[in-house]
Order: sequence, then C-alpha cells, then structure tokens
Amino acid sequence: MLVGKIDRVGRIRTLHGDMGVWHKYTFGLAGERFFRALAEKGVLLATRCETCRKTYLPPKIYCPTCFAELTVWVELPPRGYVETYTFLYEDLEENRLTEPVAVAFVTFPGVEGGIIHRLGEVRPEEVCSGLEVEAVLAAERSGGLQDILYFRPSRE
Amino acid sequence: MERVAVLGAGMTRFMRRAQETGKELAWEAARMALDEAGLTLKDVECVALVSAPDAFDGVHMKGEYLADGAGATRKPFMRSFVGGGSGVFAIIHGWYHVASGHFDTCLVVAEEKMSSTMPHPQAAFNTIYDQFTERPLGVNLLWIFALEMNRYMQVHKIPLETIAQVSVKNKLNGLDHPCHQEGITPGPDLTVKDVLDSEIMVWPVHRLMVSPVTDGAAALVLASERVAKRMTDKPVWIEGVGWHLDSSYWTNRDLYYPKYVEYAARMAYRMAGITDPRKEIHVVEPYDPFAYKELHHLEGLLLADKGEAPRLLEKGVFNRDGELPSCPSGGLLGVGNPIAAAGTMKVAEIFWQLRGEAGARQVARPVKRGLAQAWGDLMQVGTVVVLGR
Repeated sequence: MLVGKIDRVGRIRTLHGDMGVWHKYTFGLAGERFFRALAEKGVLLATRCETCRKTYLPPKIYCPTCFAELTVWVELPPRGYVETYTFLYEDLEENRLTEPVAVAFVTFPGVEGGIIHRLGEVRPEEVCSGLEVEAVLAAERSGGLQDILYFRPSRE
Repeated sequence: MERVAVLGAGMTRFMRRAQETGKELAWEAARMALDEAGLTLKDVECVALVSAPDAFDGVHMKGEYLADGAGATRKPFMRSFVGGGSGVFAIIHGWYHVASGHFDTCLVVAEEKMSSTMPHPQAAFNTIYDQFTERPLGVNLLWIFALEMNRYMQVHKIPLETIAQVSVKNKLNGLDHPCHQEGITPGPDLTVKDVLDSEIMVWPVHRLMVSPVTDGAAALVLASERVAKRMTDKPVWIEGVGWHLDSSYWTNRDLYYPKYVEYAARMAYRMAGITDPRKEIHVVEPYDPFAYKELHHLEGLLLADKGEAPRLLEKGVFNRDGELPSCPSGGLLGVGNPIAAAGTMKVAEIFWQLRGEAGARQVARPVKRGLAQAWGDLMQVGTVVVLGR
C-alpha cells in the first residue's frame, strides 16, 4: 500500500506556496549600542554585572543570572582566543567550496560568551584551540557583524 | 494539590514598534513582577513562558530564544502555546507547576513582538488556514471576525451602535492605564459616532472596533501557600482554571456562540466552587480583540444569557462603576494587543483589582473574586482563570 503510494510520487500534485512574510529586526537597546560602537569606533563592548562579577558578550541590558539592570559598559581587549573551531567544506546549499573555510568561537579572558566568526590569514594547520586572534575590521562599516571581516592570528 | 497564589504582576508599556528585542521586553515585565512580589530571580524555581507564532518575532524556537530574558537560564523551563489564548493559558501552565507540589515558585512570562513581521502580521495569519480551501482566497483574521460578528448580530438582532459602544467603553478605560499604546484611543471625547465613522475594514468591522498590532510583555509570579504566606498578607489565590477547544474547522461550529468558552468557564467554576457566576464573579476581563468579542465572551462565560450582553452593556452594567465591571483595564481595544501578552495583562489587571491597586482603574464595587479569559488559537480555544482573595 505504502510502496504503491511511493511509486506514484511523481504523479502527486502539489501546491506551491510560502509564508508570505519577512522581518524587520530591531537590534534592541544593548545591540544598538554594541553595533554602533563597532561601526563608529571599531571596538567590541560588553556589559558587566558587578553583583555576579560577570561580563557578558554580546552585551545585555540585564544580567541573566540575577536580573539586575546592567549599566556598566566595558571595552574588550583587542585580542581574543580560539575556544573551538571547525572547517566548512560545503555552503548552505550543499555546494562544494573551493577552499575550506575556518570558523572559530572566539572568547575573551574573564568574559561570558564570545563571538563566532570566520578565521582568515591563517593556514589550516595553524588553527588550534588557544590561538590568540584579533579582529580584522572592514574599512567601511555599517553596524553589523559583517563589520568584522574575520579574525586572524594576532600580530605582536 | 497545592493551593497557588499570585504574588506579583508586571508589564511593559504596550507599543506599536518597540526598539527593545523580545528578550529585553520579557526581562522588563518579569523584573517588575518579581520586584512587586518581593522576590529575586534566585527565588524562582521554574519558568513558564508563552508567546504566539514564531513568525511574528521572525525567530524559530522563540521560546528558547526568549528564555534568558524570561529568567530561565539554568532553570526548568517550558513554553506553551494556544495562539491568542496563550496569555491566560500561561497562568494555567504556571499553576500546574506549583499545584503539582513540584515547585514552590514559578515565574510566568508572556511576550509578543508583532512589529517585526512585514508587510503585516495578517500575512502570517493567512497560513493558519487550510492551504487548499481557504488560503487561496487571501483569508486573514478579519474575515473570520467579520463573519462571526455578523452571525452574532443577526441571531440576536444587535445594532452596530451597541457593538461600537464596547469600543468607546474600553478605549476610554484604557486612557487610565499607564501602559496603554499611544494613539489607541483617538481622544477622551470618543463617541459611538466616531467609531461608526471610522473606516470599514471588513464589513461590519470598523477600524475602531479592532485592536491594533502591538509589541509588549507581561509577567506574573506564582507561589505555593507556604511561600505566599511568608511573602504577603494579601495573597490572591488561583481558585479555578479551565480551558477547552472546539473544532478547528470554523465551518463546523455555529459562530454565534462560543461553546468552548462556556466549557472552559464551567471547568474553572467547578474548581472554584462557583454555582452562580453572575453573583460570585465581581470583576471580569473577557478577551476583546474586536468589540463584539467582549459581549460574545461574556455570554460564553455565563455572565449574561445568550443575546443579553448587548442589553446589559447599554444599561451600563459593564462600566467601571457598574454591577459587573468588564475590561476595566481598557482591554485589548484600550491598552493594546501583543497577542500572548494581552491575556496575561488581563490576569494582571484582575490581580491588581483584587488587591485594590488598580489606581484610576479601580472598579467602584468591592471585589473579592475576578475572572480573566482569553481566546484564540484557530479561533476555537477558550482559556479561563478565576482569581480570588
């Protein structure tokens, strides 16, 4: 019975449709300040909860641990560290990439959270956990994650 | 089964277009509710969250996305969802957590950010209908309301002026709510004529008979009797909860009467030991996304006979100084309609009314017991809570 249905699959009619909506996402109170600072000053900001002694990246206006309103903003040091990493061999549509793309979770000492981004100017065999990296910023910045082109091994 | 109290309520201002993210809105409401309860996030043992379709915020797994703003990081967390009925289902869901004896406290959070949806949330609503029979017509919620409203008016011979009077009552009540959406009420001298003169959207629905698109959040803090007695000398108890679904085929039920609301109400009344709701319910917040819906729901809640609600409205029974004040908050028509959060706002209003903390909105008569009701899903769900002190 079931097999019979599968055999006829090419003859089953379908109706094409979509959800018919798109979205306008606001950055939020914390996101607005974070991305403005990235665009205008080229720096990464985090918020700090003095009670919990935690610094959050991306920044939040509230502490998820104690619910205090967070008003202390700190600028992160320019260098972070690769916590973990991977190499992409296919894009979202399953097309084979000409070169594998390195992606890393970059963390900063004493900071909760971090940033997931591409790595650049690095040979695959150089990538490792604990690698010190710095952000390479776009010359023209518009206030989005793409303002960071990629992270690369830091140059002393 | 443990007795469950409401210790605090909070909400954001209702807005047309919030800059805040959904998480930030959730946090603001949740924080206010906790402050009012005198508790901190550490005291919260579990979190119950509601939010309507993911398509509004444009985030799939919206419950998980909102979790940290709702205070749920590293806590037992559950999201429930019955569309517009979610706002009252939220407290039912939270009640379960505490009544079971499993938790002493539960933070209930409701959030909706409808303004993210483009070109309009009604486009997302189109996809709740059947792809083959209804969607090709370009159906949206207004259609259903218009068909139902017309059926209700025809069965009971209700003049449009009476329906418009609901808008006037609620929109004027809403002016006293500090969280009301800006511009939701054209002015303090709003008349029935103004409502009837507003543009027809889908006949017989006029613009001022419809609640707007809104962003906002609301929250409640629930606690067991043990905790409640320690925290407050004026606890408000959850005396009854009820919910019920009808057929999701809107062609398979008679639209003039919401039977599912009646069944939900009967369930809540039974639990609360209420035998004569018209005497034993002192203030009510029925769901009013459209003007006629308040009357429709009051009948479903057995607070008026079938077809009697319009006449009671005309007599002023449902005014703030009437015998059965209805939507003293201003409701969805007068405060705003962030889908899931709107119902929770109604529960918060009953809570504040019972505590005598509703300020300019406080009803004239003494109140010991109140009811909040929401409706939604595929227009066939009723959710009811009875609170008492």
